[in-house]
Amino acid sequence: MNPVLETRHVSKIFGGLTAVNNVDIVVPEGSIASIIGPNGAGKTTLFNCISGFYKPETGNVLYYGSPIQGMLTDKIASMGIARTYQNIRLFKAMTALENVMVGFEPRLTQGWLTAVLKTPGYLKEQNYVIREASKLLDYVGLKGLGDNLAINLPYGAQRRLELARALANKPKLLLLDEPTAGMNPQETDEMNSFIRQIRDDLNLTIVLIEHDMRVVMNISDQISVLDYGKKIAEGDPKQIQSNPKVIEAYLGPGAAALSEKYRREKKQ
Amino acid sequence: MNKESLRKSVSSALVVGIIIIFLALIDFHVVLAGMIQKLFGKQLYSGRLPDAGFFLVFLGLIGIWNGWRAARLDQQENKSLFQCIACSAAAGLTTGLVVAVYAVIVGSIDAQGTDLRVYLSLLSSDSIQFFLFQQPVFIGGLIHLGFGTLLAAAGGFMAALYYRNQDQLKERLSSVKSWYQERILNKVQSVPYINYILLGIMVLLLGIMPQVWGSYWNYVMGTVGIYVLLGLGLNIIVGLSGQLVLGYVAFFAIGAYTFALTTAPEPHNLVVNFWVAILASIILAAISGILVGLPILRLRGDYLAIVTLGFGEIIRILLRSDLLKDFTMGPRGVRDIAGPTLFGREFSSSADFMYLIIIAVILSIFFAKRLQESSVGRAWLSISQDETVAQATGVDTYKYKLLALALGASLAGLGGALFASRNQFTGPEDHALMVSINVLCLVIVGGMGSIPGVILGSFALKGLPEILREMENYRMLVFGALLVVMMIILPEGLWPASRPKLEIDVGKESESPQVGAGGES
Repeated sequence: MNPVLETRHVSKIFGGLTAVNNVDIVVPEGSIASIIGPNGAGKTTLFNCISGFYKPETGNVLYYGSPIQGMLTDKIASMGIARTYQNIRLFKAMTALENVMVGFEPRLTQGWLTAVLKTPGYLKEQNYVIREASKLLDYVGLKGLGDNLAINLPYGAQRRLELARALANKPKLLLLDEPTAGMNPQETDEMNSFIRQIRDDLNLTIVLIEHDMRVVMNISDQISVLDYGKKIAEGDPKQIQSNPKVIEAYLGPGAAALSEKYRREKKQ
Repeated sequence: MNKESLRKSVSSALVVGIIIIFLALIDFHVVLAGMIQKLFGKQLYSGRLPDAGFFLVFLGLIGIWNGWRAARLDQQENKSLFQCIACSAAAGLTTGLVVAVYAVIVGSIDAQGTDLRVYLSLLSSDSIQFFLFQQPVFIGGLIHLGFGTLLAAAGGFMAALYYRNQDQLKERLSSVKSWYQERILNKVQSVPYINYILLGIMVLLLGIMPQVWGSYWNYVMGTVGIYVLLGLGLNIIVGLSGQLVLGYVAFFAIGAYTFALTTAPEPHNLVVNFWVAILASIILAAISGILVGLPILRLRGDYLAIVTLGFGEIIRILLRSDLLKDFTMGPRGVRDIAGPTLFGREFSSSADFMYLIIIAVILSIFFAKRLQESSVGRAWLSISQDETVAQATGVDTYKYKLLALALGASLAGLGGALFASRNQFTGPEDHALMVSINVLCLVIVGGMGSIPGVILGSFALKGLPEILREMENYRMLVFGALLVVMMIILPEGLWPASRPKLEIDVGKESESPQVGAGGES
């Protein structure tokens, strides 16, 4: 049984900077895997390598065991990998419903000529897409907002809309880039449980980048830590919390020893 | 009394004064007075100047506007009536003074017998006399001063009254609006088949107009129609799919030359049937669109613009080169291109051809509208807004960009074929860069991605210059100024695009399998 996603020795180099350096990650089916690390650690670059925005210089990205690195992003998307973005990137001048409908694109079969003639086959497909897209909007909690322009939606709703668009193509792997960025604690909690709900409802595998440690520790089955492009640790939340390398990456050298000392003092 | 608001009024009035002088220098006041006169049904002056009364109307309107502006320059809520009028009067005095000084200077130079036409071709002695109301120099200047001040003060008075009773006026306006909606609009809309009736009226109007207009206006409107076709095509490429293509004229040229070479007796003597030739033009233009698109559509933005700009020029230069002289007749162009025939009958009159253009435009509008509202249009829009994300969402951007180029080019091909057939001649100079620029302008002026915008835009860009013919030498200057003003007032275009509400077509409901995400929660 192949894992859903596997990166093997993936490196991405920008000029003299190695943004991602020889990273191996294995994401088993149905799990929620987090990638964490300080700013500039190469998390989003790794995402971009997976979803096809960048072609890694070395290494393979395997999706159900077959390599996908260097393929066009639309091809990768149609294979069932969907993603959201750190800074929300919606089609701003289109309505919320239309944003989701664009997500159905890989599954459409009708061409431009049938669209002009409005053949029964085309109408059937369009009605299906409209119905399913509205269902998706309801599912992410945007009921009744379908006719609003994406840019006019409040921030939290825009994040949810991006999620709905990503779900439109029935993905098997969902990449979430900081899904709770800019949210208040309550919204964060809601998003937290919603991500888990999506995984359970749709049998997805989810990889997410996150800064909020409360979310990460709460939600993840597996955590990989990147620092300066290198993977420095991997494991479940417990292991990561006590890993001295991780603490040093976040708090600076010497911090691990201090934290150890603090813990011992607390025990006494 | 506030010094600051006075200063603002005066400086805005200076600008107004300069505008009036500018208009006077290009003889706009004479032409406009003539146009107003025409509007009131009087015979247009012939050779002589229009009534001074209409010039006064024109000046008065500017004066009132000047005063109105001055009164509400700083949005102070509680300006007293007196303050408003004082500000406006000061503004009027300033404008009047500027204009009067101009009038006196020009008037006295003219009185000395110097011919100012040497410097500005429209500044004739007649025109200057008209500007001075046929009075002696100083009296004319004084009239300007007094008239400007008086009407500006009136404008200020009106502005003050308006802002004082703003709420009441708004209320009355909204009550009129709701009355209109309830009593008239709803009643009209409840008439069965109203859409078809309106359509019928439109068709009737379009059917009658070409007979009534006469051949000159048929020619002008035909040009507008052909530009609507071009605009619809470029709107697909630039407005919908967001690819900035500047060499659009190339497809127009390919359409025109395909039609010309297949129907003209010289140089090939093919003389194909009109309709077959039109079809060939459309298809060849579409194919050329695809061929051009294949290598260059990986480029984005400015780079794409420059490459396509080069492509447009290459086609034009090829057409006039000696290299292809035997094939395309070179710079001489192709003559005796066939007109349309239907069941053996020739379309002889300009009205007949106008009908053909109208039908082509209506079909193309239908075509473009259906496309725009379809899933294809949605995919194009997503590409124009964020190509990277569209692709990552699963839109095959390369395919859709090629499709946009091919369909846009085919409309240009149709336009080119009609253009060549109507003129019965086409040459390389019909396909210069200016055509591309004009079409791009009309798409932008009308509103990117909006079909009504394209129609309005072509009227504004191709119809307006004809209406402005009376401006003679300064036609293009006034036209340019109007374009600038239009874009400042309506930056999103005359008729900005809006997104439709999507509804499921009832009656065509069909059973559908569940999509994974739907409705579980």
